Amino acid sequence: MDSHKFIKKVTKKLRRLQYILNKETGAVSSSTPTQNLAICNVGQINGLTEATIVEAFKQYGPLERVLLIPGKSCAFLSYKSVVSATRAFEDANGKLNIAQDEKPAYLSYVESLPESKNDKIWDRLPPGLTIIENFVTEAEEAMLLSLCMFEDDVNSMKHRQVKHYGYEFRYDINNVDKDKPLSEKIPQECDVLWRRLNIDFRPDQLTINHYKPGQGIPAHIDTHSAFEDPILSLSLNSAVVMEFKQKETICVLLPQRSLAIISGECRYDWTHAIIPRKYDFYYTSNECNSFKRDTRVSFTFRKILRGECSCNYKLNCDSYAKNLERIDHTLATKLESQHVHEVYEDIAGHFSDTRHKPWPNVLDFLKTFKTGSILVDIGCGNGKYFGYNREIFETIVARINLIFQVGMDRSFKLNELCKGRGFEIFTGNCLNLPLKNNTADGVISIAVIHHLATKERRLKALTEITRILRPGGLALIYVWAKQQMKNQEKSTYIKQDRKNRKSTDEEIRGASTDEIFVVDGISLPVHINRTDFNHSDVLVPWKLKSENLSKAQTFLRFYHVFEEGELDNLCEEIPEIT
Amino acid sequence: MKLLTHNMLTSKCMKAVTVGYPLGINASDVRVSEVDFNPDFIAKIIPKVDWAVLWNAAESIGQLEGLPKDIVENYENDHDFLKKAHHVLLEVDIINGELICPETGRKFPISNGIPNLLLNEDEV
Repeated sequence: MDSHKFIKKVTKKLRRLQYILNKETGAVSSSTPTQNLAICNVGQINGLTEATIVEAFKQYGPLERVLLIPGKSCAFLSYKSVVSATRAFEDANGKLNIAQDEKPAYLSYVESLPESKNDKIWDRLPPGLTIIENFVTEAEEAMLLSLCMFEDDVNSMKHRQVKHYGYEFRYDINNVDKDKPLSEKIPQECDVLWRRLNIDFRPDQLTINHYKPGQGIPAHIDTHSAFEDPILSLSLNSAVVMEFKQKETICVLLPQRSLAIISGECRYDWTHAIIPRKYDFYYTSNECNSFKRDTRVSFTFRKILRGECSCNYKLNCDSYAKNLERIDHTLATKLESQHVHEVYEDIAGHFSDTRHKPWPNVLDFLKTFKTGSILVDIGCGNGKYFGYNREIFETIVARINLIFQVGMDRSFKLNELCKGRGFEIFTGNCLNLPLKNNTADGVISIAVIHHLATKERRLKALTEITRILRPGGLALIYVWAKQQMKNQEKSTYIKQDRKNRKSTDEEIRGASTDEIFVVDGISLPVHINRTDFNHSDVLVPWKLKSENLSKAQTFLRFYHVFEEGELDNLCEEIPEIT
Repeated sequence: MKLLTHNMLTSKCMKAVTVGYPLGINASDVRVSEVDFNPDFIAKIIPKVDWAVLWNAAESIGQLEGLPKDIVENYENDHDFLKKAHHVLLEVDIINGELICPETGRKFPISNGIPNLLLNEDEV
């Protein structure tokens, strides 16, 4: 079509798109040229990437910024000068085929770029990361590349090619086999690299990775117990952009022939990843640019850690997590004694006062039992589920059949409170129930077995419950879950804190404390109430308010919070449970 | 502690014990109170109870009140029988005393109506 018709067509289309643009992003279109352009009809949701935008638009002049809006079919870019933007507009508007199905993009000048949350950070490095540019010369690069000539393997198109020297990193166990060194050690040609560094570092493990354009590596932290600090990564044959993530995401350009020194917080507490793509875009202090990836060959040098990791970044430390699995019977007894039994004795009154609302699911369960049933409440606490509490039961449970309920708890104080309400109870330990086999028609154990410190003990408690149940009997077990979010929704536990009703995921997940409490050589994290659980074994504070005390006392209760499916798996180990 | 509860308790969880049932009773304080009588409930509980143990327990604390030594035929419809069973099962409460393991002689105290069946570390 001729120029006049073309302009008319574009203008008409544009008016509609500008209206939508404003509605979706608040961006205000400008009839006079500005440095800022909106791409009105294609965006992140159509698969448009920053790199594509930069590649397509950098020819018109230096770019300042590129912006994709998540979930939208529009994008933005700004040039350093209006002249560049005008050039781009005139040349590309209605013509540049980067929209869906290779249709043309429609551009509009906008007054400014919209606000954007969750921007990736380019202007600083994560703590502990150092980039040394031009660490090797072109000749040295060629020499190092010649050490690892791989055959072009069609099968490896999808995944990167890997070779290990010194020790093999085993991806199946996510660790190194420290007792099985490889016969092939780090090539001596690499020795020249250590003398160049000012740090006292002599690696004994090398991994060479080939990343073809379009290949990447998912976000991960190098296993704490496998390697020491630091980890060195040399980038050869191509540059790449690497993403580091902790609470924020920081993007870092690794130029060809640069050395990345990953140390400290960055090594232990930030994940790093390479997004699989063929083009990268990046920001320098001046401008925004992009490049096409070539096959990047990375030489990652590491030193094997002898023994376990003793870092302060416990959240992602496998040594720390493993330590907790070594709780033996004696320690478990002591831990439970100090951080469950004694605490409940101390807080019994306050605890009972705050535990008056029976959970509907439990009441529904109780309702299913026929008259003449015998029901045992293991860990009955303040007797919340006993049927003789007339005020609660008769309003909530219209017709409850007459069942015989007997409760057991470990706490003398709570039992006294229970008995005071007229309930039938006895004192005992859930690991050794003083009850005959096949006695109970039903058992409930609400928020109890998560106080047991080892898997064996939790399994024993379930075995005991199974034992006292009649064949065909039913038990209801409730334990605290580790995952407090389901389907992106916060749990009632987290929502109870008024602040958290509005806070973002990051704020909740990031809220884990570094406070560690040590019990007989086992260190346990202290949980912050009303946040996600970052560990399975935690100490949960209970603040005791009392007029007698000048200030509130805090007690720490031990909990093993359950992962999804964990309780099911325990039950599966007991054959009598169907 | 009611006698229905006593009927379920055992010391078999102790290391040295093979059967551990029934537990002997020494009662120093017994309280008898009135509890709502529900014949249907009692009729359904009776088959779940070890009758001989119940009878002996009641006798040892002098609370039989004419309870028959054996379960009568057609007890479900025997109002009188059910009432006596109800009394022994639910209306007798041992407030203070002790339970005794039949094999080791180990004493489990009952105080304030609550029997304490917690074992020591070396008994498990």
